[in-house]
Amino acid sequence: MEEYPEELRTPPVTLISLVGCPELHALISSHLHSEQPPINTLALPDFSKISVIFSDKSSDGKAASASDPSSPTPGILKRDWLLKHRTKVPAVLAALFNSEQISGDPAQWIQVCTDLENLRNVIRPKNIKLVVVVVVPATFFASSNDDLISEDRMAALRKRAELDAKHIVFFNSGDELQLKESLNKLGSTFAELATTYYREEGRRIKTRVEKKNFSSIELNIRNCFKVAVHAEFRRDWVEALRFYEDAYHLLRQMVSTSTRLPVIQRLVEIKIVAEQLHFKISTLLLHGGKIADAIAWFRKHNASYRNLVGPPGVVFMHWEWMSRQFLVFAELLETSSKAIQSISGPASNTAEKLTEWEFQPAYYYQLAANYLKEKRNALELAQQSEEAAGGIDGSAESVAPSVYVGQFSRLLEQENVLAMQPLTDEEYTRYSIAEGKRFQDSFEIIALLKKSHESFSGIKAKRMGSLCAFQMAKEYYTVADFTNAKQLLDDVASLYRSEGWVTLLWEALGYVRECARRAGMVKEFVEYSLEMAALPVSSDTSVQSFDSKDCGPAGPPSLAQRENIHKEVFSLVSGEVGSVSIGDNLDLQTACNGPLHLEIDLVSPLRVVLLASVAFHEQIIKPGVPALITVSLLSQLPMNVDIDQLELQFNQSECNFIIMNSQRPASTDGRQGRRVERAPSLSLVTHKWLRLTYEVQSELSGKLECIYVVAKMRSLLTICCRAESPASMDDLPLWRFEDRVQTFPTKDPALAFSGQKAAQVEEADPQVDLVLGATGPALVEECFLVPVTVTSKGHSVFSGELKVNLVDVKGGGLFSPREVEPLSSDSSHHVQLLGVSSTDTEDDPQVASSKIMKIQQSFGLVSVPFLKDGESWSCKLEIKWNRPKPIMLFVSLGYFPDVNELSSQKVHVHKSLQIEGKTGIVISHQFMLPFHQYPLLLSKQSPSLPMNEASVLVVSTKNCSEVPLELQSMSIDMDDDHERLYTLQHGGGGAEDMLGISHLMPGAEFRKVFTIVPEVESSSLVLGSVALRWRRKSETQEACVLTKYKLPDVNIELPPLVVRQECPPYAILGDPFAYVLRIKNQTKLLQEVKFSLGDAQSFVLAGSHTDSTFILPKSEHVVSYKIVPLCSGMQQLPRVTVTSVRYSAAFQPSVAASTVFVFPSKPHFQIAAAADAENKELEPVATE
Amino acid sequence: MATTASFIIVSRNDIPIYEAEVGSATKREDAAQLHQFVLHAALDIVQDLAWTTSAMFLKNIDRFNDLVVSVYVTAGHTRLMLLHDSRNDDGIKSFFQEVHELYIKVNFLQLGCSVHVLVFHLSIVEKN
Repeated sequence: MEEYPEELRTPPVTLISLVGCPELHALISSHLHSEQPPINTLALPDFSKISVIFSDKSSDGKAASASDPSSPTPGILKRDWLLKHRTKVPAVLAALFNSEQISGDPAQWIQVCTDLENLRNVIRPKNIKLVVVVVVPATFFASSNDDLISEDRMAALRKRAELDAKHIVFFNSGDELQLKESLNKLGSTFAELATTYYREEGRRIKTRVEKKNFSSIELNIRNCFKVAVHAEFRRDWVEALRFYEDAYHLLRQMVSTSTRLPVIQRLVEIKIVAEQLHFKISTLLLHGGKIADAIAWFRKHNASYRNLVGPPGVVFMHWEWMSRQFLVFAELLETSSKAIQSISGPASNTAEKLTEWEFQPAYYYQLAANYLKEKRNALELAQQSEEAAGGIDGSAESVAPSVYVGQFSRLLEQENVLAMQPLTDEEYTRYSIAEGKRFQDSFEIIALLKKSHESFSGIKAKRMGSLCAFQMAKEYYTVADFTNAKQLLDDVASLYRSEGWVTLLWEALGYVRECARRAGMVKEFVEYSLEMAALPVSSDTSVQSFDSKDCGPAGPPSLAQRENIHKEVFSLVSGEVGSVSIGDNLDLQTACNGPLHLEIDLVSPLRVVLLASVAFHEQIIKPGVPALITVSLLSQLPMNVDIDQLELQFNQSECNFIIMNSQRPASTDGRQGRRVERAPSLSLVTHKWLRLTYEVQSELSGKLECIYVVAKMRSLLTICCRAESPASMDDLPLWRFEDRVQTFPTKDPALAFSGQKAAQVEEADPQVDLVLGATGPALVEECFLVPVTVTSKGHSVFSGELKVNLVDVKGGGLFSPREVEPLSSDSSHHVQLLGVSSTDTEDDPQVASSKIMKIQQSFGLVSVPFLKDGESWSCKLEIKWNRPKPIMLFVSLGYFPDVNELSSQKVHVHKSLQIEGKTGIVISHQFMLPFHQYPLLLSKQSPSLPMNEASVLVVSTKNCSEVPLELQSMSIDMDDDHERLYTLQHGGGGAEDMLGISHLMPGAEFRKVFTIVPEVESSSLVLGSVALRWRRKSETQEACVLTKYKLPDVNIELPPLVVRQECPPYAILGDPFAYVLRIKNQTKLLQEVKFSLGDAQSFVLAGSHTDSTFILPKSEHVVSYKIVPLCSGMQQLPRVTVTSVRYSAAFQPSVAASTVFVFPSKPHFQIAAAADAENKELEPVATE
Repeated sequence: MATTASFIIVSRNDIPIYEAEVGSATKREDAAQLHQFVLHAALDIVQDLAWTTSAMFLKNIDRFNDLVVSVYVTAGHTRLMLLHDSRNDDGIKSFFQEVHELYIKVNFLQLGCSVHVLVFHLSIVEKN
């Protein structure tokens, strides 16, 4: 598009001319230029210049028009016509006069008149419009311009200039406002007159077109073009488009009718004019937003000219022209789609559906590149024939474009005058070929394709993009830039490979292979060749292949071609020279002298060349026992391949072995110390598995995996193929849909589905016993011992190691960090391994010191001393439970059966044991008050004890385990940082806390009574904790377990009132007895106490039912009743309620405390008197 | 049907599973390659278009010189692609429908067995 002249590329702009008053020109022209639409200005400083410019051109024009009717039209469009109308022929001429010149003395007036006369003479033939601008002096401030120039003078001016009053404009630059008004006035006047001018001009020519009064079709086209341009000048796009189209259609008709020029030049002229018209039409359509119409128009344009190839010698011109059409349209589409932003969808009214690509500039770029390629090919042919015909003479040098668009002529210089001489077609052809040589088409093609490629990649059309990339690569290949070509082709090939488009892949590989060959990259060349040879391309030989230029360097995809490539590459790697045509590149041969190593992994495209599947027949094999392994090889190469030697590489390198081909001479290099097997034949047949089964033997336990299968072919080629398991082997993607017989890599189909390339080698069987002897469940807090015994039965134990693990049976950890335990915050484990005690006390101290022993809370590592066959060793694991929890104890012994640790392999024995952890001892406590004594405790806090009164603490211990226990002692100990603030008495008598040996059977309970007399008043008196020492009852003297039980803190207060209830332990029917309440006031205040006694059916009582009394400080009040029982048996005494008025607290003895047994008559005890006497003294113990 | 045409069946994962040069034009190997390039590039358009329309038959989605590409997208997103040069839309549509029917039948009998492929191939050549 850039090569078009600017006047063609941009829409026409109105041109006006200014004469006189040059100081104002810059101001006016800049204003007009910024108008919308803009107006260009042709500024002439004074009136003398005008005649020179216009007279010259007009006379020339007249001469041309005068010659029209007589002679045939020499061309269609004049080259400079458009430029002339845009830069030299104004639509309006503005004559600027100072007002003094008009209103001044007669001499000035006459000068004005003369100038006007001259102007009118100049512009009349061209119908240019005239405007007279009267420049008012800046100092003039009159309200009306009439004051400046007299009416008569104005009338005279109008008459002289033959103008309407409105075309005489006053220009006042007095102040800003007036200046702006004047400029606007000028602008609108110019615009109006220019539109009139262009309309009149257009109409004049249009009349000619309509009347068809012209001699030739060329003139008709030219006039249509002119009408369209004039319409464009006045922005009438519809008419412009219509006349451009008319011109275009007329031009197309000319192709078959015109005989004016020699045939080649005629066609060239028509095409170039058509190109210009088409450009105008497309621009108008695209700027109007009619993208679909523009595309449809382009398609028509393309269709109507595509076949106008021209004579054979100049075909390249046609392709160049075509390429330019596509390029220009692509550029137009690109710029307009940027401007419009949203591309309108395919228009429904277009006759034929537009494809999606036709809206993409990239599509046209790509086609432009394709046509340019055609052009290059045609040009090469033309050059060859030209050279064959006798070379190019220098006559082309003086050829230049002539006056008419699309025409060329020879410039002749005769006596300092340039003359144009028409060319013959031969001359023109030579000129064009010489011109064509100057351009590097390949770079142009690459640039176009790159643009297209990027654009397609940008819209995620990767296939279209790779098509462009492929074409680009072909172009690089043509210009011998193999690095770029190979890079692009590698990408392209990977897309075709992944999508399985074999024919396309063949094409791409054909090129990239040639690139590798030319660049001397042997390894790549061999890889690409092998891949090509193994491609599943059509083997249909009935199709006759043409050695066409469209085919890549690899030729058409066929079986024969594959075989050729196969032969070529194998003769290269075997070092044979001369049998294949690789001799044209010496680099490749010399580079191929060294060995060649190819690697094939699971994603390599070369899997089709050699696929190695390895299957162990057994998944688990014994150490030292031979196991069967099957190696299967598959190749899709078109011809049979003989392998010289095959090496299997395992992760255990001592298992590696080599399979030699018996038919080949054995070479001994590189297999020292390796096992060598011989196979009768190692020939790979196309599509057929080569199966080999051998034994493999491993001494080391663990995984035995075949990693690589290395095939050596010929003298130089080594293919290292990663082994694959038949069970997880992917199909060859390109061969998946091919018509071939499905075969299995192993003879046994089951193995083909389940075979693995790796097997597990078992450990040697251990010959050592590991015994965990634990009895019964463990008890919480005791140190539980688990004896572990290692007994050798056949193996000596070297460097034995015992690993101990404690694992929660229910899963999860053995400790919970969330559970904060104040007593054992340092050891938060619920179950802990405390240590390991060896029972072997006769150990040498030196040996003992060298022992490794690592003990952690749930893990332990203990070294086992050397044991000869038959010896045994034992130790005890000390485990402590902090919580009742079942655990699993894992003990594993690892040892070497041989003294040489490097050669022998470690043997492991594992044992596990589940051990329950149970709570052995449960301790509880209870506070009690002395019999029939009720202190009034005011606080609600519980437990509360009265100060200075004796309270009873009962501590009970229960055996929850299933084994008998021995209790050693029970005491209440204070914590280290607390002082004992109460008096403690043991119920068992004295301060002795030893229990002697007290057996506690399962489920039995043991109680001990303590008496506590608090001595201070405190809201939280620390009582300390109960310490109980116990152990399992067993023959062996086990260590004592100390169980601590924290007593709660108690509230101690001084009770204001204490009520004591006194009544006999039993009563006799009808026998009265005394029921006494003693209320003691311990305060220094007078206390009012109310008390009442309820009725009871079983008793008759004497005394007041309700009463109130005052108790003096520190004194006691006694309420006494006499009661007679009426019924026998367990009877409820009348309920007493004592209420302290001061404290609003009522007291009522409990039901149990106010029950008495009534004998029907006085009991007669027949027991011995001594016993009686004892009984009388016996204190009844009431339990609540 | 078309005077010259290249027919290809592309599976849902973009792999060509069947290809044939059909029609009466001279068989040229290089032309077949060129046709494949055109058909492969046209997959880009198909992948965009196929999800915007419920129609199975997408006619004239791409052009290459005088040839146009028509595609029939099956419900399983297998694409039957034809590069042809005639304007006989109805004929092409019915060709596609017949091939689709055939394709389903052969698929049903497990494509992969050589006999069925042969039957398939013969049937397609017959349809021209």
